[in-house]
Amino acid sequence: MSDVYVVGADLIRFGRYPDRTPAQLGAEAALLALDDAGLTVRDLDIVYASSTFNAASMIGQQILKQIGQTGIPCVNVSNACASGATAFREAFVAIKSGLYDVALAVGAEKNPKGLLGGPIGDGPSPEGLFGSGTTPAMFAEAGMIHAGKYGTTMEQFAQVAVKNHHHSTMNSKAMYQRETPLEEVLASEMIATPLTKLMCSANVDGAAAAILVSEKKARELGLSRAVRVRGSALASDPYEPRNPVLLDADSVTRLAVSKAYEMAGVGPNDLDLVELHDCFATAEILHYENLGLCGDGEAGALIDSGATALGGRIPVNVSGGLLSKGHPIGATGIANIVEIVMHLRGEAGARQVQGARLGLAHVLGFSSVAGVAGVHILEKA
Amino acid sequence: MAETGEPSIEGFRCADCGAIMIDQPMACRACTSRTPPQAFRVGERGRIVTWSTVLRSFPGVKTPFVSAIVDLDDGLTLKGTVRGVDPESLGVGLPVSLVFDDAGGARAPDGAPYVGFHFVKAGAAE
Repeated sequence: MSDVYVVGADLIRFGRYPDRTPAQLGAEAALLALDDAGLTVRDLDIVYASSTFNAASMIGQQILKQIGQTGIPCVNVSNACASGATAFREAFVAIKSGLYDVALAVGAEKNPKGLLGGPIGDGPSPEGLFGSGTTPAMFAEAGMIHAGKYGTTMEQFAQVAVKNHHHSTMNSKAMYQRETPLEEVLASEMIATPLTKLMCSANVDGAAAAILVSEKKARELGLSRAVRVRGSALASDPYEPRNPVLLDADSVTRLAVSKAYEMAGVGPNDLDLVELHDCFATAEILHYENLGLCGDGEAGALIDSGATALGGRIPVNVSGGLLSKGHPIGATGIANIVEIVMHLRGEAGARQVQGARLGLAHVLGFSSVAGVAGVHILEKA
Repeated sequence: MAETGEPSIEGFRCADCGAIMIDQPMACRACTSRTPPQAFRVGERGRIVTWSTVLRSFPGVKTPFVSAIVDLDDGLTLKGTVRGVDPESLGVGLPVSLVFDDAGGARAPDGAPYVGFHFVKAGAAE
């Protein structure tokens, strides 16, 4: 089977777009990615479009209505925060199968405002009566397990936000581009202990797109800016005794990443940079260990050491991450792949990870009842 | 709810592998045995696994409150609100007791009351 290459990748600036539809945002990202690849909509064989909240509206076909109704097949994907990674993976599978030569993976979202989620079903709202089902509370509780087990401190969780907000000052497409010193992160509004507002992902609109092609097509286009997909894995939450009462960010991520490392034939020590799912500052700490960037119990020391900041041993979320670049749910899983592609090409500007050859993008999605994780490993061609 | 009106909590246990779950699937989630896990009544004592003091929630929800995950001694894990404690005194492994309540006084459309529960420190009366 032929290798799969990414030859186009881009995103729109994340922010609020009250006057535009999700499909318009997705169409803009799709055109940016096509331009980046030097291709047109007529070159596309198939589209995978992700939107957690808008997939049911046939957002992929709506995007084609904006940029050209060429009649190609279009698959609409909703898979919680892993929607974008799922669309990218399906595009990868489609090319890998040999059925298609050029696929567009595009994710677009207009997030609802405020806390996402909320009471569903009949009867009294369980919120407050039976603990909390808000996402900050769930990731606060997951972080407190780490704190209880390993002594991880409030300051160590907060340093994740300091780092990622610092990174986004170098990313013109990030929602926030402002330094947030430790004192400011700690002093911002407490949402659910130990998470303050600046330790929660930025709730924004956005879109991102990638063009995936077969080896034959990549050679036709020239490989100078191509990036090879070395590993692609998607996992559903395996049985754990406390799941789903306790959000289990760990086992599903470990399952996906072990499959991706196996497919790529690499390990965490081979990586030059990582974009991981920092939906909350606690999550980044958990995922350092889940992805094997350090041993179990060492994540607090890892953030303290500066190893995961730009210039460190293994920079994490140099885009600014979900905390600062922003988290338009269905676009996130493609946006973090776009970031990796930029570094592997050496086109990431002020935040470039020097000499980057291998990068990993991870997402974690979940609802109150289920979880999903996606991991992609990309290599400079 | 028993016929006597006495509330209790049920978990479900797989007869083949012993896995415990909070609701009854068609086959065991852990070992895939096609014999559905069977209901068992759990006791009301347990220990805190993790917790968070929630200060911001959905609109209209009164804060702050303490949300916690509790492992009951019989193996079932529940999420619930811990009442009557200073959050500073909470810790992993702290023994708690489950207390049934009226779910904030809510009523179904036909006027029937709901039964809810919360946790208190073990030994604390409420």
